[in-house]
Amino acid sequence: MAAMFGGIVGQEPENTRYDAQISVFGSKLQNKLEQAKIFMVGSGALGCEFLKNLALMGISCSQNGKLTVTDDDVIEKSNLSRQFLFRDWNIGQPKSTVAATAAMAINPKLHVEALQNRASPETENVFNDAFWENLDAVVNALDNVTARMYIDSRCVYFQKPLLESGTLGAKCNAQMVIPHLTENYGASRDPPEKQAPMCTVHSFPHNIDHCLTWARSEFEGLLEKTPTEVNGFLSNPSVYVAAARTAGDAQARDQLERVIECLHGDKCETFQDCITWARLKFEDYFSNRVKQLTYTFPEDSMTSSGAPFWSAPKRFPRPLEFSSTDPSQLNFILAASILRAETFGIPIPDWAKTRNKVAAEAVDKVIVPEFQPKQGVKIVTDEKATSISSASVDDAGVIEELITKLEQISKTLPPGFHMNPIQFEKDDDTNFHMDVIAGFANMRARNYSIPEVDKLKAKFIAGRIIPAIATATAMATGLVCLELYKVLAGGHKVEDYRNTFANLAIPLFSIAEPVPPKTIKHKDLSWTVWDRWTVTGNITLRELLEWLKEKGLNAYSISCGTSLLYNSMFPRHKERLDRKVADVAREVAKMEVPSYRRHLDVVVACEDDDDNDVDIPLVSVYFR
Amino acid sequence: MGGGGGGGAEEEELTAQETALYDRQIRVWGVDAQKRLSKAHVLVCGVNGTTIEFCKNIVLAGVGSLSLMDDHIVTEDDLNSNFLIPHDESVYGGKSRAEVCCESLKDFNPMVRVAVAKGDPSLIDGTFIDRFDIIVLSRASLKTKLFINDNCRKRSKHIAFYSVDCKDSCGEIFVDLQNHSYLQKKPGGEPEQQELKYPSLQEAISVPWKDLSKKTTKLYYAMRVLESYESSEGRDPGETSLSDLPAVLALRKDMCDRMSLDESRIPTSLLERLLAAGKKEHPPVCAILGGILGQEVIKSISCKGDPIKNFFYYDAADGKGAMEDIPPTPED
Repeated sequence: MAAMFGGIVGQEPENTRYDAQISVFGSKLQNKLEQAKIFMVGSGALGCEFLKNLALMGISCSQNGKLTVTDDDVIEKSNLSRQFLFRDWNIGQPKSTVAATAAMAINPKLHVEALQNRASPETENVFNDAFWENLDAVVNALDNVTARMYIDSRCVYFQKPLLESGTLGAKCNAQMVIPHLTENYGASRDPPEKQAPMCTVHSFPHNIDHCLTWARSEFEGLLEKTPTEVNGFLSNPSVYVAAARTAGDAQARDQLERVIECLHGDKCETFQDCITWARLKFEDYFSNRVKQLTYTFPEDSMTSSGAPFWSAPKRFPRPLEFSSTDPSQLNFILAASILRAETFGIPIPDWAKTRNKVAAEAVDKVIVPEFQPKQGVKIVTDEKATSISSASVDDAGVIEELITKLEQISKTLPPGFHMNPIQFEKDDDTNFHMDVIAGFANMRARNYSIPEVDKLKAKFIAGRIIPAIATATAMATGLVCLELYKVLAGGHKVEDYRNTFANLAIPLFSIAEPVPPKTIKHKDLSWTVWDRWTVTGNITLRELLEWLKEKGLNAYSISCGTSLLYNSMFPRHKERLDRKVADVAREVAKMEVPSYRRHLDVVVACEDDDDNDVDIPLVSVYFR
Repeated sequence: MGGGGGGGAEEEELTAQETALYDRQIRVWGVDAQKRLSKAHVLVCGVNGTTIEFCKNIVLAGVGSLSLMDDHIVTEDDLNSNFLIPHDESVYGGKSRAEVCCESLKDFNPMVRVAVAKGDPSLIDGTFIDRFDIIVLSRASLKTKLFINDNCRKRSKHIAFYSVDCKDSCGEIFVDLQNHSYLQKKPGGEPEQQELKYPSLQEAISVPWKDLSKKTTKLYYAMRVLESYESSEGRDPGETSLSDLPAVLALRKDMCDRMSLDESRIPTSLLERLLAAGKKEHPPVCAILGGILGQEVIKSISCKGDPIKNFFYYDAADGKGAMEDIPPTPED
């Protein structure tokens, strides 16, 4: 192994703070470290530990070096047990800026820029080509797979090393992704967590997880998504309406119905209106829908194969009878009313938070209409169904009617009317979010005779909380930083790198060399996910096809971004064959290539001469 | 409220503050373990990059108290791998390492009592160590390590003993929990009570080398050679350099001959590396060792989880981390 460590340069210490490193790998490499340009994604637990390490190691600690750290989150109390660069008085402040300032106290030479953008497709104007091309390495300090997959795809595209790590309780892992040497992060993923089928969550829960999943989903729908939809309509009605028409499907219909409900049927102007809304929602969810469900599927009903419909794991539900003397029911109504009031900007009276007699009376005042279950109501029972909205033949027609209604309603709204969407914040014990979610879940559990849970457990499940400790976090970053030396030094082979998995509870410490990327072969060519094929010249689609034919590949589909430029199935695409790729891209894909870029990328689907699909690299056409 | 004061009141609930702050870690080790942590008293002798990583971890975890013993006045060399010491002579000038680091550590968790313990580890007596449940030594002479380990074992109170040393980019952790009973998680079943019996430090370093497995890490032997060298030369730990190499190689030959070990088991390059390192530590390795040691101490206080028995070695040169059980536990 080309020893990064394990040897000595025999260089005299220079009496700098980096003597340990200089004596092992020399001042030339130390300078390289100081001039490194690093992108760190995330500034939470892993981020704080990384910043501390980088400051001590001298990485990006010079004017020519730069560490860009980004995180859109703010500091909260439970962070402080790991994120040691933050203090109690930092609660509420942005993680990236506070962490960066603290890191500069450790090493004032650290050249760091702290941003608050979430790294996602929406921020590619911030993290643009020039930004990515300038980087030496990317360090993940993330807490979710989606973001990791996105960063991985960017690193593959820009051919940048990615140092990935994560922790879960006492377990931690570090994984190196080096262009051309190793497989990328997305190449081997754990199978996705099994999610309960939609119909289970919506109509047939059998454990508290189903109830909490449903509760969170209803919370987000009622209190975040619908108000956001309303604001979307109000800010640009003609665009909103046009989009609904274009979509013309069940989902668009549902959305319009919900917006109209919010602005007309269920619109709230006083706090009492909010109480009414909450009380009626209770009746709807925990009484009426259950009555409808058990009317459609009575206790003794049979499936088409003659088995009892309500056999395990399905649990037969019973409707709840509301009583303001039941504290859990009253609490739920009040908490829901408070959040509803927030979305409408309605002031909240003190008695709503104290749950006293006045509160009970206000709820009892609500007139609750009688409910009669209906015949012929469709309820989805298919476990493979991915949507609850049942499509109907005339969605487009219904949508037109709804649009007309919506436009009429909007004329009656006061000027400047808008709603305040609520984003679920699990850790603020004073915001009533967990009260509503736990309430939703427990009432539902009560319907289905499922044991209820306390707020702490509810928070854990609904909040998708990851248990975390400082020791595993510190270790993960130490392991990554050792690899970072190798990345910045350059010239290391795959067997020099280490992926580590450790479990401090057992204790288990296991290492492995990273896996090389999968090689695809075709005739005398071979490539990996890291490769890009380049064609120079302002070529036509036909010329591109011919270029590929010379490699023994028959291209049948060419796309750019999310648009199809050419597909051999469509006769009218033949007209495009003699047009320049760049021109077709501009017209069809609306692809405007900025002036500093000379190429555009196309994804080409090919077959070999035996009609087998061949997965070829991205093709970059350098047309300028 | 919260930290300090040993023993009693197992029924005391965690405060709302503690529950909010420790939420994420309580979900790992449970409320009971958190309560035990809040009553534990830890002494760390020897402030350096690795031990302050350890201190950071256990202060964040919420131990009852942490006492730091290190009267050495801060010098510039101390700043290199220690993120707790600000690079400002007006702040650290004239103060001891323990004093400066205590101030920084207090900020990490106001619920933990962090204090300076003035004194020399080689002179502390039994009544002093009785205040603690955990003692961690670093960069201590062999004589001091043996003295304190022996004292811990003589006390009627159970005191866990750890020593940790990081040289260059490798390190050693030694654990002595005497008799330790804990709950071991069984996959898919109820946790089972386990009993472990640890050898003393004296026993662990006096095992004739010919009796050890051929797979025993070269670091174990290299550390023993250096320990022995520093001892016989009256050097402070880490007070070595490449110029000591010839004498150290001679000592290696002597020890290997006496204990029937092939000299090639302790590579010259490794000894060179450790000698040249002196007291220098690589920050990422401090983080790794400090993380492992932190979790070990948490496991021993909470009596949950399999502790290391009884050595752990890490070496960045090959990336390996491995436990060694020395002397080997006899198979039943």
